[in-house]
Amino acid sequence: MIAQRTAVPGVAPRSPAPLRQAERTSRALRRSTRLAFALLVILAFVSPIYLTIVNAFKTNAAIASSPQSVPLHPTLRNVSAALSQPGHVLELGLRNSLIVVVCSVALLIPLGSAFSFYISRKRTRVRAAVMAALAAGLMIPPQITVLPIIKILTLIGLDHTYPGLILSNLGGGYLSFAVFVYVGFMRSIPAEVILAARIDGATGLRIWWKIVMPLVRPATATVGIFLSLWIWNDFLNPLLIIGPLTGQTVTVGLYDAVSNQVQPDYGLQFGFMFLAALIPVAGYLLAQKQFRAGLTAGSTR
Amino acid sequence: MKPLRIRLARLDTGLGAIAALAMVLYLMFLIVPVLLSLKTSFTNQNILFPTSKFVGLANYRTALHDMQLRSSIEFTLALAVAVTIVANAAGLCFAVLLNRTSLSYRVLRTLAFLPQVISGIIAGFVWSWMLSPTGLVNHILTGSGLVSQPVNWLGTPQLAQLSAGLVVSWVLSGFTTVVYLAALQNIPRELYEASSIDGASSRQQFRMITFRMVAPATTISVVICLITVLKLYDIITALTGGGPAYATRSIAMYIISVGFSNDAYGYASAIAMVLLVLTAIIALSVTTVLRRREVEL
Repeated sequence: MIAQRTAVPGVAPRSPAPLRQAERTSRALRRSTRLAFALLVILAFVSPIYLTIVNAFKTNAAIASSPQSVPLHPTLRNVSAALSQPGHVLELGLRNSLIVVVCSVALLIPLGSAFSFYISRKRTRVRAAVMAALAAGLMIPPQITVLPIIKILTLIGLDHTYPGLILSNLGGGYLSFAVFVYVGFMRSIPAEVILAARIDGATGLRIWWKIVMPLVRPATATVGIFLSLWIWNDFLNPLLIIGPLTGQTVTVGLYDAVSNQVQPDYGLQFGFMFLAALIPVAGYLLAQKQFRAGLTAGSTR
Repeated sequence: MKPLRIRLARLDTGLGAIAALAMVLYLMFLIVPVLLSLKTSFTNQNILFPTSKFVGLANYRTALHDMQLRSSIEFTLALAVAVTIVANAAGLCFAVLLNRTSLSYRVLRTLAFLPQVISGIIAGFVWSWMLSPTGLVNHILTGSGLVSQPVNWLGTPQLAQLSAGLVVSWVLSGFTTVVYLAALQNIPRELYEASSIDGASSRQQFRMITFRMVAPATTISVVICLITVLKLYDIITALTGGGPAYATRSIAMYIISVGFSNDAYGYASAIAMVLLVLTAIIALSVTTVLRRREVEL
């Protein structure tokens, strides 16, 4: 399983020429066997996603008879049926989810990074206490906070509204996650850089925006990608905070549409799931470079 | 020195204001809700009755004898342990397999995270179709002649619990793979080169280098898997709805059903507190044990 680093300089070239030829062929063979094995394992692993895509374009009869095949006679019936649900749950859901994700992440990034910069300049004891309080946010299950959050939102007149849902997203575990990522990255910024700007009379806000933010761009990418995915896929908070009446996010809309089917129409389900997953999957694939950069940089901190 | 510090403090007012806002939001939507939940857990608050009164530890005493709560705790704990082991083993194997620089491996690495990208609701629904009597798994099993009758994977309590473990492990393996890949990319190549000059076999290299060097990643990955399963709601809701016969109902699902279907907020809050304490104990003790292991390895 493990990396075989056969190319050790000073060892390999000692063998005579014909043997080296044979060794090279066997090494090439081993390499392609390994790739074939990896391909097989990972394709099997992601097969449920492949099935969602291909079956979204098949008739119910084709789904039942050959669920694993590619759609030989592709049909758009499922996708268009999903798009013409009563009350346009899918279109509205996609719009609502986009609004919630964009607003929440656009507010969480400046809140999280400015807060991280502020406490990273505080004394160690203060910082440790704040970080411990924030660690609780990563651990506390949303089921514990969601009932009181609805009460608090009712008190300020924002219950069952999207501003209420977005506001509650700003406060919980999402903020903790953002702060943890940012604080890790900010530790690597040399104190001299900040001090130099200080001596020039720059305000804290200006240093944060002009110097710190450009330096922690990989952290911003990590935070942005993970929070977007989590908030888009969140089920419990929108379900309970928005409630059934006001129109829903796409995840809750999908759940309602599928679980309310008396007779399962798998074609329609796949069409619905395909469209619901399209935006996060496309966004993830587009942000690949940032995703990788953020992860490698994040783990070296 | 003092005037300078005052001047610097004034420079920080804007930044301090944003930091204060973040803190207020955190207090308002996390700390205060937890305290409110704690307070509610000592009352008989119920949406059907306008007034509620302090009942002391009555809700907690009820919880002690609640067999439905006990079975959901047992299921959730077993699921957390099983999923954490499976997802971490799979994630480490996948990461070792995919830790190559060529384009093909990069594409495969991108694909491996996909189970985390789709929502738990979609994962639950796709798998509930795959595991249904007419679904793909039975299609393959009956087609290859391995079984004569389709297996109802979600139909009996034991099989449904097993299936839930499989599906949750599938989702979390996408995450653990990425965590271990990031860790593997930080192991200095010299370690492998030096050990292969010393004649170490690839199995020895895995045991002596890879396995030890990923120890910090293991700590993070294990703790996040445990916490995720302890508060799990969406995947199982879509996969089994908690059935059959409540065999796959997680603690989180039980809290929501008590609080929202039965409207017993007081009792739901008490169970929520039990879940909070359980999560805290498990997360803290596992972190302590694994941190110590990091040093020893």
